Amino acid sequence: MAVAAGALHHEHGGGHQEPSDALYEEIRSHRLLGFTLFLISDCILFSAFIFAYLYLRNTIDHWPPPGIAGPDLLFGALNSIVLFGSGATMHFALDNWKHGNTKVFYRWLGLTLFLGTWFLLGQGYEYSLLYYEQHATWAGSIFGASFFTLTGLHGFHVFVGLVYLSILGWQTKQGIYTQKRFFGLTAGTLYWHFVDVIWVFLFFLFYIF
Amino acid sequence: MAVAAQHSALAEHIHPEPQGFIRRYVFSIDHKIIGIQYMVTGLIFFVIAGMLAELIRTQLMNSNAKFLTPDQYNGVYSMHGTAMVWMVTIPIVTGGFGNIIMPLMIGARDVAFPWLNMASFWLFPPAGILLFASFLVGAPEAGWTEYPPVSLQGPPGTTLWCLAIILIGISSTMTGLNFMVTIIKMRAPGMTYTRMPLFVWAQLATAAINMLATVALSAALSALFIERVFGVPFYDPNKGGSPILWQHMFWFYSHPAVYIFILPAFGIISEVLPTFARKPIYGYKMIAFSSVAIALLGFMVWAHHMFTSGMAPWLQLPFMILTMLIAIPTGVKIWSWMATLWGGVIHYSTAMLFAMGFLITFTMGGLTGIMLGAVPADLHEHGTYFVVAHFHYVVFGGTFMGVLAGIYYWWPKVTNRLLNETIGHWQFWLTMIFGNLTFFPMHILGLEGMPRRVAVYVPEYTDLNRLISFSSYGLSIAFLLMFINMAWSFKYGKKAGPNPWGARTLEWMISSPPPYYNFKRIPAILSGPYDFGSPLPYIGLDSELERTQSHTTIPAGAH
Repeated sequence: MAVAAGALHHEHGGGHQEPSDALYEEIRSHRLLGFTLFLISDCILFSAFIFAYLYLRNTIDHWPPPGIAGPDLLFGALNSIVLFGSGATMHFALDNWKHGNTKVFYRWLGLTLFLGTWFLLGQGYEYSLLYYEQHATWAGSIFGASFFTLTGLHGFHVFVGLVYLSILGWQTKQGIYTQKRFFGLTAGTLYWHFVDVIWVFLFFLFYIF
Repeated sequence: MAVAAQHSALAEHIHPEPQGFIRRYVFSIDHKIIGIQYMVTGLIFFVIAGMLAELIRTQLMNSNAKFLTPDQYNGVYSMHGTAMVWMVTIPIVTGGFGNIIMPLMIGARDVAFPWLNMASFWLFPPAGILLFASFLVGAPEAGWTEYPPVSLQGPPGTTLWCLAIILIGISSTMTGLNFMVTIIKMRAPGMTYTRMPLFVWAQLATAAINMLATVALSAALSALFIERVFGVPFYDPNKGGSPILWQHMFWFYSHPAVYIFILPAFGIISEVLPTFARKPIYGYKMIAFSSVAIALLGFMVWAHHMFTSGMAPWLQLPFMILTMLIAIPTGVKIWSWMATLWGGVIHYSTAMLFAMGFLITFTMGGLTGIMLGAVPADLHEHGTYFVVAHFHYVVFGGTFMGVLAGIYYWWPKVTNRLLNETIGHWQFWLTMIFGNLTFFPMHILGLEGMPRRVAVYVPEYTDLNRLISFSSYGLSIAFLLMFINMAWSFKYGKKAGPNPWGARTLEWMISSPPPYYNFKRIPAILSGPYDFGSPLPYIGLDSELERTQSHTTIPAGAH
């Protein structure tokens, strides 16, 4: 998707000539549809792994399997709040960009990156608890296989999101986006919300269900 | 619809053609060049995978042959299936035909994301090389379906197999996404959904499947990969995993995948038949909507591959009924095509012959599909040569007949030269005769109980197997004729001109080969493309523009 997101600048990079409003609007609508379709296909990637998890979980009587207590609900809930909070801060960031409050935008974007990193570190702490206290490993059981694969895939998405948002922040410094033309920021925000929504399902399936 | 009818700023924007060999022909972002790249790469892999098929047939010439060791034989048939599915058929029908023809048909200058398109293509050759490289370390031995636990114990090449299919899967997903945006957003003014050529409808349905189903396969393959490399238990029953899980995830993709093969072929047939029958296509909307119906139903039938895998009996019934339901939209298409031929002035060009051959052989494959979809029959036929016969009738007799029709139909558009019709007719009849002699006896062998994927068999099956093997060599000769014909065409082929067939879709309204920007000006579309006998439904074609300019009269468009 980075290829597609960068193409606008490539196409018009040669002559340093800005596209007209009508042209920008048209390209933006293509990008928005393309990015939405990308998120839908990504959603199916998670759905397939969730299906695998539920299928494996259904093959045994008791979940988690004997010897494993599973992840801690309270810690998971607190960590989830951190991630959902970062979704809210990203929303405020984009909102401020639209209103031209560049300074406030950077503050909210920074907070988003901070909370996202906090979430990832929390995940790492949770992994270490599972490993050291419950001896749950990736290859050890179907619990490890489904929990670490799915949350790891999500964590990877969070990590990619952090890199993506950082690049977007750098791009705003380069003056690539204006108050009216900021599709990259919209896409980044959509992606970040998508990562949040996926976590809602994962949190329910692993911590509550 | 509003978007397509509106004046488009993007359509007015003509990029200068990049200069230099690398930018123009290697890392090109032009959809036509990328399409040709897909076709050439796909045909190269087709030759390799076809040779693997001949190795299989040579081994099966005798009941207890020593031509290949059993391990080699397993590797050869696994790679034949894998390569034909992922490295030949899917890239040719979507990346190849879709890229070259679809943007021309909708009156666009390119696909929505040209750079993404280039990236999609450049994942394809490495994937193919990675796949064939697995022969060096021990090719996968569990067939193209790679069922665990056999695939978990398979040789190291199985890991490369996973990576290759993940790569080509990413490529397919990106192409699907790209085509969906292109078709939804970039149609010429006036080209409403019900005025799109049927090939575009087929590509739209295919793109949706490609985009949605392929990621499920990627998930299944990633799980297989990490299980093989890191021992993470998904499929190994010894560690609590489930081999059936793989079958669900694999077929959730791979059943829709057979519609990725066949829908573009349906699209090609829907273009070729009206053109050479000189008649409007019969039942345009029914053909278009049945493509969508097939795509939707295709997602709900995967478990009919698993009737013998141990599944709850109450689940078998709905999957059987849904499977049989697919025969309805497919039947709608077949009848519509036959009604298109009815009373037409049929011109028996090679493309038309392949399209008519398609109607016969594909219907044959469709009928055996219904037999296999019925649980009681499937319990008997599963895992026998009957299944092999069925899918070769559908993929060879269906998709590949469509691909051959498409090659003969659009070759003049791409190269501006005609193929030799005499060689073409020979190719058709050899394909038809040897194709049927190769694949029909497999039905009989299957019903007699010959299992698929075996290197040796009981001597009673020898006669039919020899017939199949000799016929398969004949089939290779038929394909050799195609490559000879292509070479002949480059050297001696007559100049085709913009529209040698008198067809009416947009790609025939511009010069052959189409210029870099496709259309100097995007024409407006007034009605559907198949109304033979009426004036062309386009305003502002480039040819009109040139005519009016040469007479220095009023500007084009002021009709």
